[in-house]
Amino acid sequence: MVSVRLEKVTKKFGKVVAVNNVDLEIEEGEFMALLGPSGSGKSTLLYLIAGIYKPTSGKIFFDDHDVTNLPPRERNVGLVFQNYALYPHMKVYDNIAFPLKIKKVPKEEIRRKVFEVAKLLRIEHLLDRYPGQLSGGQQQRVAIARALVKEPQVLLLDEPLSNLDALLRVSVRSELKRLQKNLGITAIYVTHDQAEAMALADRIAIINEGVIQQVDLPEVVYNRPKNMFVGGFIGNPPMNFVEAGVEYNETVKLIVGEDSVWLPQEYIEILRKLKLQKVVLGFRPEDVLVLKDESQVEPGSSVIRGEIFTVEPMGREVLLTIMIGETMVKVYAPPTQYYSMGDKVFLQINPAKLRLFDPDTTIALEYLVKT
Amino acid sequence: MMQLWDVEVKSRKIEIVLILAVFLASLPLILNYGLLILSSFSTEMVTNLDPTSFRPTIDNWILLFEGRLSVTGGVREDVVRYTINTAIVALGVAGVVVLVSVMAGYAMSRMNFKGRSLIMQLILLLHAFPGVALIIAVYLIFRATLPSDIELARIYSFAYVIVARAALEIPMSIWLIKGFFDRVPWEVEWAAIIDGASRLRVWREVMLPMVKPGIAAIAIFAFLAGWEDLIYVRTFLFDRTLATYIESNINVEFAYMPLLAAAGTLYLLPTILFFILTQRLLLETSTGGIKG
Repeated sequence: MVSVRLEKVTKKFGKVVAVNNVDLEIEEGEFMALLGPSGSGKSTLLYLIAGIYKPTSGKIFFDDHDVTNLPPRERNVGLVFQNYALYPHMKVYDNIAFPLKIKKVPKEEIRRKVFEVAKLLRIEHLLDRYPGQLSGGQQQRVAIARALVKEPQVLLLDEPLSNLDALLRVSVRSELKRLQKNLGITAIYVTHDQAEAMALADRIAIINEGVIQQVDLPEVVYNRPKNMFVGGFIGNPPMNFVEAGVEYNETVKLIVGEDSVWLPQEYIEILRKLKLQKVVLGFRPEDVLVLKDESQVEPGSSVIRGEIFTVEPMGREVLLTIMIGETMVKVYAPPTQYYSMGDKVFLQINPAKLRLFDPDTTIALEYLVKT
Repeated sequence: MMQLWDVEVKSRKIEIVLILAVFLASLPLILNYGLLILSSFSTEMVTNLDPTSFRPTIDNWILLFEGRLSVTGGVREDVVRYTINTAIVALGVAGVVVLVSVMAGYAMSRMNFKGRSLIMQLILLLHAFPGVALIIAVYLIFRATLPSDIELARIYSFAYVIVARAALEIPMSIWLIKGFFDRVPWEVEWAAIIDGASRLRVWREVMLPMVKPGIAAIAIFAFLAGWEDLIYVRTFLFDRTLATYIESNINVEFAYMPLLAAAGTLYLLPTILFFILTQRLLLETSTGGIKG
C-alpha cells in the first residue's frame, strides 16, 4: 500500500486541457472518490495515475517514489474499467491469472492466488466459464479479482458500478467498501454519481473542467461546499440558490424580494469584513420548514414567501418545487400536510444550515475569508 | 393488434419476393456451375439444357488424375502435382497476407504516427490498381532478381509469385483487419498493459485472438485469390497450377471437354467449399459487425 501524490499535474490533448494543474494527495489505505460530471477530466486523472497517459506537466508520486515517467507495468496498480475490459477469449480463470502469468509466477502459486481472490469475491464457481457467459455483476467481480490478484499498491476504479442495474449497484457498493477496508488497500474511485461517492469514499475530490473544486470528507463536502458548483452537484436534489441583497445596519440581514433573512453570527462577521452588496443564498431541500400560514411563523424567525409550483409525493416525504420570485427551489416537506399547486407558502430556512456564496466568484464566503 | 399482424404478413410477402429475385439473379450462375459439374460426370458435355446428353461416368475423373488429356492417351499431365502447386501458391499468399496485414492493420488502428491517414489513403489507392497494370514492372523486377541456377530459379518463381500476388491482396486486407482492431475497446488493451504485458504481447495474446474472425476472413480471401490467380502464375511461375493447366488446354484441338470439366470442377472446389463453410462469417464481415 502506498500513498499517492499529484503535484501540479496538467494533461492536454491537443489544445484541450483535460486536467488542469491538479494537486491531490491520497493517503495510504484511503478510499478516495473522484467525483465530477462527464467530461470533467476525472477519468483522465485516473489514467494518469495508472500510467496510461503521461502528464503534460507535473509529477506523480507513489509514497516518495516519482512514478511520473514509469510505464504502467512498473507501477503495480490494479485498474477496473467501466466496461470491465475482460479478455473475451479467455476463461475467467485465465483472465484472473493473466497478470500473474505475465509476471512469470510459478503455476502452482498462480493457482493458489486465483482461487484465493476468487473466493474473496465469491466467483469460484465461475472460473471455468467465458466472460460472455456471465452477468454484468459477475463480470464486474471478475474484473475486480483480476485487478486484485497481483496485489497492487493502488486499486483504481473507473465507474465500475455504472453498467449495473440500480439494485445490484447498491449491494455491490457496500461489498466494495468492506473489501477495500478489509484489504486496507489504497483505492481511487472515479464516479459521476454523487450518492456513490458519498456512500463509499473516505474523502471526495470534486472535479469540474479539469480543476479540483474541493477535497474533503463527504459530510464536509455536503454541508460546507466550497463553491456553488460543489453545492449544486452534490445532493439529490442539489442545493438551492437564491440571489439576495445585503442590508448593513446595527445587524446584517439578507433581502430576498420583500422578505428579510436573519443570519447566524458567523456570517454577520464575514459579511462585515467583505462588505458585499449581493450574495447568493444556498440551502439544501431538507433544511427548510414549509409553513402554510403566516400565523405558524415563530416570532423572531425570518421567512421567505413563495408559491408552490409542483408537488411530487415521494412516500417518505413530499418534494415541493417552489417559486421565489423568478427563482425555482426544491424543498422536502413532511407528507402529513396537504399541499397543492398555487398555494402561498412561507419558507423558514434553518439558519445554521444556510450557506452564502459570492455571486462573482461563486466561492462560499467562509472560504473567501480563510484564503 | 391488427396493425402488427398486417405488418408481419407484408414482410413475409416481401421476403418471398426477395428470395425469388435472388434466386432468379443467381439462376444463370447456378445453371452454369451445375452443367459444369454434371458434364464432369458425363461422356459428353451437357449443354443446351439437354438432359439426354448426360451419360453418367466417372472416367473423366480417373483420366484426370491419370494425367491424360483424352480417352485415347495423349500427353501425360501431372494433375496431382498441379493441384499441389496451386495449393502452395494459395497457402503462401494467405500466409504472407495474414502476416503482413495483422501487423500493419494493428499499427494503422492503434498507433499514432505521422502520415497515418495518408498511408491509409495510399493503401486504398493501391488497391484500386489492377494487378495487370503493374505486371510489366513486376516482371522487370522478376527478371532482374531471377537466380541463374534453374532449380533455384524454380523455387524462386514460387516465392516471387506468392509475394507479388500477396502484395495485391494486402491493401484490402489491411483495411479489413483494421476495422476489426478498431472494434476492440481500448480498455481491453489498457487492461493488458496495466497487467504488465508489453505492447507486443498485448498484440499477440489479447488483440489477435479477439480479431480471429477477421484473420479467418482475410486468410480465406487471400487463399482464394492465390488459388484462382491466372495472370501472375502464368507470367512468373515455372511450374503449372490448375488454372494454367486448364487455360493451356482449353483451346487444344484434341482436348476432351468432359475431362476439362472435371478439371474445372476440381479447380472450383475450394472456392465453393470455403464459401459454404464460412458464409455466415463472410456475410458478417461485409456488413461490418462481428460480435465479440
